[in-house]
Amino acid sequence: MREVFLPRTLDELWDLLHRRPEAAIYAGGTDVLVKLRAGLITASGLICLERIQELKGVRDQGDEVYIGAATTHRTLLADPVIQEHFPILIQALNVLGSPPIRNMGTIGGNLVTASPAGDTLPPLYVLDAEVEVRWGDGAKRLPLSQFILGPGKTSLGPGQLLTGVRLRKSADYNVHHFEKVGQRKALAIAIVSLAAVLQVSDSGRIEKARLAWGSVGPTVIRSVEVESALEGRIISRDTLTKAAALAQTAVSPIDDIRAGEAYRRTVAGNLLLRLINYAR
Amino acid sequence: MPDGRIPQIGVVFPRTDALTKVSGEEKFAADYYGQDLVWAGVKRAGIPHARLKSLDVDQARQVPGVIAVLTHLDIPGENRQGVVRKDQPVLVDDKVRHAGDALALVLAESKPALAAALNSIRCELEPLPGVFDPEQALAEGAPLVHEDNPEGNLLLKAEVKTGETESVWEECAAVIEACFETPHQEHCFLETESGWAKVESNGKIVIVASTQTPFRDRTEVAQVLGRDHTGIRVIAPYAGGAFGGKDGITVQSLLGLAALHSQGRPVKMWWDREESFSAGTKRHPARMYYRLGAKADGTLHAVEVRLYLDTGPYDHLGGAVMTQAVEHSGGPYRIPHAWLRGWAVYTNNPIGGAFRGFGVAQVTAAMEQMMDLLAAKLDLDPVQIRLKNAVRRGDKNCVGVTLTGSAGLSECLEKMAAHPRWQERQTWIRAAGLLKRRGVGLAAVMQAVGYGPFVPDVANAKVELTLEGKIRVYSGVVDMGQGNAATNLQIAGSILSQTPAQMELILPDTDRTLPSGSASASRCTYTFGNALIGAAQALKERILQRSADLLMAAGPDELVLVSGLVRRVTTGQEIPLAVLAKWLTDAERIAVYRFRAPVAQERPAKDDQVRLHGLPHCIFSYGAHLAMVEVDELTGAVEVKGYLAITDSGRVLNPQTYEQQIHGGIVQGLGYALSEDFRVTDGLIQTSDLATYIIPTAMDVPDMLSIPVEINEPTGPFGLKGVGEVAMNGPLPAVANAVAAACGGRCYSFPLTSERVLQLMTAS
Ligand SMILES: Cc1cc2nc3c(=O)[nH]c(=O)nc-3n(C[C@H](O)[C@H](O)[C@H](O)COP(=O)(O)OP(=O)(O)OC[C@H]3O[C@@H](n4cnc5c(N)ncnc54)[C@H](O)[C@@H]3O)c2cc1C
Repeated sequence: MREVFLPRTLDELWDLLHRRPEAAIYAGGTDVLVKLRAGLITASGLICLERIQELKGVRDQGDEVYIGAATTHRTLLADPVIQEHFPILIQALNVLGSPPIRNMGTIGGNLVTASPAGDTLPPLYVLDAEVEVRWGDGAKRLPLSQFILGPGKTSLGPGQLLTGVRLRKSADYNVHHFEKVGQRKALAIAIVSLAAVLQVSDSGRIEKARLAWGSVGPTVIRSVEVESALEGRIISRDTLTKAAALAQTAVSPIDDIRAGEAYRRTVAGNLLLRLINYAR
Repeated sequence: MPDGRIPQIGVVFPRTDALTKVSGEEKFAADYYGQDLVWAGVKRAGIPHARLKSLDVDQARQVPGVIAVLTHLDIPGENRQGVVRKDQPVLVDDKVRHAGDALALVLAESKPALAAALNSIRCELEPLPGVFDPEQALAEGAPLVHEDNPEGNLLLKAEVKTGETESVWEECAAVIEACFETPHQEHCFLETESGWAKVESNGKIVIVASTQTPFRDRTEVAQVLGRDHTGIRVIAPYAGGAFGGKDGITVQSLLGLAALHSQGRPVKMWWDREESFSAGTKRHPARMYYRLGAKADGTLHAVEVRLYLDTGPYDHLGGAVMTQAVEHSGGPYRIPHAWLRGWAVYTNNPIGGAFRGFGVAQVTAAMEQMMDLLAAKLDLDPVQIRLKNAVRRGDKNCVGVTLTGSAGLSECLEKMAAHPRWQERQTWIRAAGLLKRRGVGLAAVMQAVGYGPFVPDVANAKVELTLEGKIRVYSGVVDMGQGNAATNLQIAGSILSQTPAQMELILPDTDRTLPSGSASASRCTYTFGNALIGAAQALKERILQRSADLLMAAGPDELVLVSGLVRRVTTGQEIPLAVLAKWLTDAERIAVYRFRAPVAQERPAKDDQVRLHGLPHCIFSYGAHLAMVEVDELTGAVEVKGYLAITDSGRVLNPQTYEQQIHGGIVQGLGYALSEDFRVTDGLIQTSDLATYIIPTAMDVPDMLSIPVEINEPTGPFGLKGVGEVAMNGPLPAVANAVAAACGGRCYSFPLTSERVLQLMTAS
């Protein structure tokens, strides 16, 4: 038998973390329970974040939007602020797992799992998200790209908690595009994904481009080179094909049971051609 | 919800098991627990081929909570089982022949104790070179899976030759040659292999199992336990899916053995998904070499087929699957010259076994692509070339059997040709969006009904008028989810004019119901339904006759049976069935009837072994399938946008259950076509769970249209033929043909993953 703790406040949580430093934290449990079943987590206790209200919900703070780490994907999908300002996150959440997984899984869990295939990661990278980390008597704020260090690795120290995600509202982008390539249409782990936010002028010129790829490297891949190959150019097959070739050298995918390295590399580039749909 | 109406044939009859399943009230084998439950589990080999040097279970016996650790030395009877050839050990005694082989059986107080004990079993296994490809396994010098098999790694070869074989190819205007490969397919039933057993105070072993074959299981378990079959009772509740994966022994023998060592306590075994993958059977992978020739007008002239089926290490109906593949390998066509050969070959891969389609899904995948290749070469319309050659009643099929039963393939194809999804395909294809390509493909399908000529395809139905005045129907054939139990109530209810509330259903139970064969081979309602009609009519006659006697009527003509009572229409007198029942002896309240399915008299294969394994059949269901696909140029992803299945499986008893069978077959077939990429490397499964083995979700299922062509089958109950399998065979070739049309090239290995299709598009 394993003890499960259900703290209701952050203070209760700090206290628990102090008393049971070996316990494993979970929010929705959709990653943790899989690992428990496989025997990959052996902690004698589990601490659930679900009841801590401070960790839940979306707060509109003017220029910024704050998302509590234990907010479920389902809640985010239904949130009008997220819908209005971060449609690319909505697109990614729509293809994350399945309805039951979205009902349970949280954004914090997705980030701390730090899988290169995590679906919220590429959108949050292109949105330059920052995360808030807290511990018993301290807090810090850092860019997501510094928080995630590698597959399954974050910069969270012992006793530290991811408490929230901060997103800056921006009117810069008028194209918000997320595409995930999986082995089926739901319950699919990304083989490759692409998040792209673009500012496209009335004449069809890309003024600004932010791109991020999932599942083609140890963490999310960004490429300034590819972004600059797009910026200042009209959306056209030619432009996109050239950028695709650059993207194919920027990514560093692996072979696994889901797809081969070559396929991932090819498709990472190919996905840019989808942007032709936004040509004026 | 029991419907207040008397069931009628041909209209929707709500399933009697629907509510109990949805509410959780229905008890599956996996739901049996009980006081003082003992958990049983198995130590699996984990390597594909090895000599068993020693097995050290002492430490495992010391684990707290362990009740017993059993090895092959504890098996009282024969340590070999199998339906045809007995070659599979219950617990390994000499050699491990695949990674899922069972080495030891543990009984424990709890699941953690069970897991701990399984982990402390030490086995010394000396690895042996394995053989993992059926053609290589047949080569000289290949490692042997069974040293004592006189034919090396060959389990069975089947050969059928009609007409000429040599000169005929020169007479063809077009000849196509190709080789196709299809993978393993996992059944993925919701309820993994499970069961429960207990020795009763009278010494009888009761086994409740998720099985398609309770009566056969009883015999097999009896042999393993060295007892008479009367000492064993097998009960088969509704199975939570089976699809062929429970056609034979899974947990039954192990549970019987465990029950002998559990000190009268109930024992439960329930494989988890990973164990189901490693130890359970799968659809046979096939390598299929085809040569097909036709005259310039498209008339098929000759076909030559060589099929290599990887049966894994044991004969889990592998010989029968291969034989059925050979029988269907020329498709539902008239072909005067056919040379069809198949080999079921032992390897150290996972076990090949029965799976919806039973060898036919593989050969249809190949043959229907051959038909499209041929049509393209001769510049003929794919519907027309099929129509031209489609077997009709009275024709000889590709193994030379004269079709005496109904044959509606032409009708299916004609309906397809006229259907808007075919007629308007060019418009639909042209409407493909940016970076998308569209194609429409079709396939003709058929599926034999029943066991074939040798193994008696028999059912024994039993119907009882209970003392409470209800009609009790004893289902002889398992309902694994397809709804045949409810259909039995529909049939009996319609003959005896009883509402569902007036009826009771007894699910298969070797102590209560009569042997009626397996739930397989598209035979459940065909064979059992025929028997049930006989039994229900006999009971009806008896009820009316005895009521006539009681009421001193001149004869039964004055009487009618309505729900719950008999009415004398000439006088208005009524006898409730509960009253009548008391006037009958126990024996009179029961009617039984036996039915044996007709068999073909031809002997297309010279080898009697082939006949024994089921060739030939005489009744077939048919169909025409159409798939509308859209291929993504950037990713190679294939999306099925629409699907049409036009089916001849005779008359439709219940349109709802019928459609569910068609829809289910299509979905399972689409998984086989597109995503179920079962991978085995050197005998080890790489896709070992549902996170890596990709079955379709609701989101992947297209809009499916099912249209029945209701031709009366003269030998069928109310004119029906089996519908459980036929739809499984169409999706792979229909999708493959559609993808080929969209991409201008063809893959020859399946499934059509995005990766394969993108490669194809890059190459062509
Ligand atoms: C069937 C299935 C399908 C899935 N499909 C997808 C998919 O399509 N795309 C996708 O991206 N993911 C998918 N996942 C993975 C998972 O659902 C997501 O990663 C989800 O967002 C995890 O959230 P959670 O709250 O359930 O995490 P949990 O399992 O509760 O936790 C995950 C990890 O994060 C840690 N953690 C959680 N919250 C915090 C916090 N606030 N501070 C510090 N550490 C924390 C936990 O200790 C643990 O290490 C799937 C999972 C399953 C089981």
